[in-house]
Amino acid sequence: MAYVRVEGAVKYFPREDGSDMLVLDGVSFDTKEFGITCLLGPSGCGKSTLLNAISGLEKLDDGKIQVVSNNAPAGRQAPRLGYVFQDPRLLSWKNVEQNLTFALRGMRIDQAEWPERLEKYLDLIGLTEFRRQFPLYLSGGMRQRVGLARGLVIEPEVLLMDEPFSKLDQLTARRLREETLKICDRLKQTTVLVTHDVEEAAYMGDRVVILRSRPARIVGVFENPLPPGRRDVDDAQFIQFKKALLQSVLKNGKG
Amino acid sequence: MSPEDKTLAVAAETLTLGREGGALVPPGRARPGWEAARTLTLRLGSIVMMLILWWIMTFFFPPSLIPHPIDTLMEVGAIVNTGQFLSEMGSTLRRVGVGFAIAMLIAIPLGIVMGTIKSLENFFEPPVILGLTMPGLVWAVMAIMFFGLNETSAYAAVSITILPMLAISLWQGTKSIDKDLIDMSTAFHASAWSKVIDVIVPQLISHILAAIRYGLGLAWKVVVVVEMFGFSNGVGYQVVRGFNIFSMKQVMAWAITFLIVMIVIEFGIIGWLESRVTRWRPRIDAWRR
Repeated sequence: MAYVRVEGAVKYFPREDGSDMLVLDGVSFDTKEFGITCLLGPSGCGKSTLLNAISGLEKLDDGKIQVVSNNAPAGRQAPRLGYVFQDPRLLSWKNVEQNLTFALRGMRIDQAEWPERLEKYLDLIGLTEFRRQFPLYLSGGMRQRVGLARGLVIEPEVLLMDEPFSKLDQLTARRLREETLKICDRLKQTTVLVTHDVEEAAYMGDRVVILRSRPARIVGVFENPLPPGRRDVDDAQFIQFKKALLQSVLKNGKG
Repeated sequence: MSPEDKTLAVAAETLTLGREGGALVPPGRARPGWEAARTLTLRLGSIVMMLILWWIMTFFFPPSLIPHPIDTLMEVGAIVNTGQFLSEMGSTLRRVGVGFAIAMLIAIPLGIVMGTIKSLENFFEPPVILGLTMPGLVWAVMAIMFFGLNETSAYAAVSITILPMLAISLWQGTKSIDKDLIDMSTAFHASAWSKVIDVIVPQLISHILAAIRYGLGLAWKVVVVVEMFGFSNGVGYQVVRGFNIFSMKQVMAWAITFLIVMIVIEFGIIGWLESRVTRWRPRIDAWRR
């Protein structure tokens, strides 16, 4: 299907005093096809910058990012990328369904396909009975579900998620992680998920790329020994994997 | 995912939702009937207070200076009954309406452009600020000298006077919009038109409503001045007529009809418009006493 190849990504941010700060220092990695790749690192290490570079919201100063897609329909130049943000970033004045059609229209998806897609993704994410509701009348967890549905409804080659569970309460976050993992697995959705939470990376990631901070540099790439359906936070193998990730983060991350 | 566990998950979150929804309206204030009655009593009370103060003043001044409230209200009734009210108020309302619409049509794009494009902000800032400090009376005089005594001068005076105020309100509103939502719409490849219509303008709704309120208030004041200069109809003309025959009763009666119309527009039309365009926003009154 599709994967992302990042080669020697370099990015500077201007400082207040006019000098430049190096944020990404030659980052290179491939994501998995059909699975979730987690970018794990401490807060402010440049993970989100990297994700924004993949989405095209941010331009790189050097290096290149390629979305390699084997079955993109002919005639489409740019790969289709879905985005799920840390805050849901919904349009409060549009109801759940209109928030999804906003994305469908933006991505120039044929209007004839809309009803079927809405049906499918609202059902998948458990929003069908709330389709006419306005976001401010929904709980935080429900709003983030709408954000997820909006990312998926455009059927992107790659879904990009920027700490999507970090602003939710623990129980809601846990349930949403479980469901997101199931949905991505079922859809064979290539996904890049940014997180600073080691357990989340161990639970969600089929591959975990660990970054150290200031500037971001890759210090390790781990493959999850357990398939999505068998990840259990109390399982010995899971705990071992989590420890390995944590050690790598602690050894290399400064900050 | 099996259908059962999805239903379970949703049921659990609906529960959370119900609790959150409950928090928006605190239980102690959940008696809408009482609440409305209290609000109405307070509002009517303040009007009755003003009438009483007016009545007290009639003891200290002759009727030619402070006419009796009852006489004045009778005069209001007479004005409304003869049908004079509809035609005079209609002329004034038309001048305000057209002038206001022209100003709004220019102010919305101007404000959005100033709020989003730095170089155009720098370019338009001086005329807007200068326009704001220019007295409406000067615009009224200039419009009449330029266009002559006709409707065009009234439309021009009204729209030029209120335009800077509307533009500033929308300009500042545009600067305060949520940049994250713009990024979101960029990530989903929304067109420039869709960004304006679906993302920017809805965030400006409260600024637009505030601009309508201030703008109308200012428009009334200017239109009356223009009408005083020599129009042969409109509320401003009627006030001048009252002045010429030195009838305080007439001046005040016309002022009162004016106030009544403004109250209808403010509480009726704008209030209705506001509740319609902000349906998506839950009312949070909990912090007010």
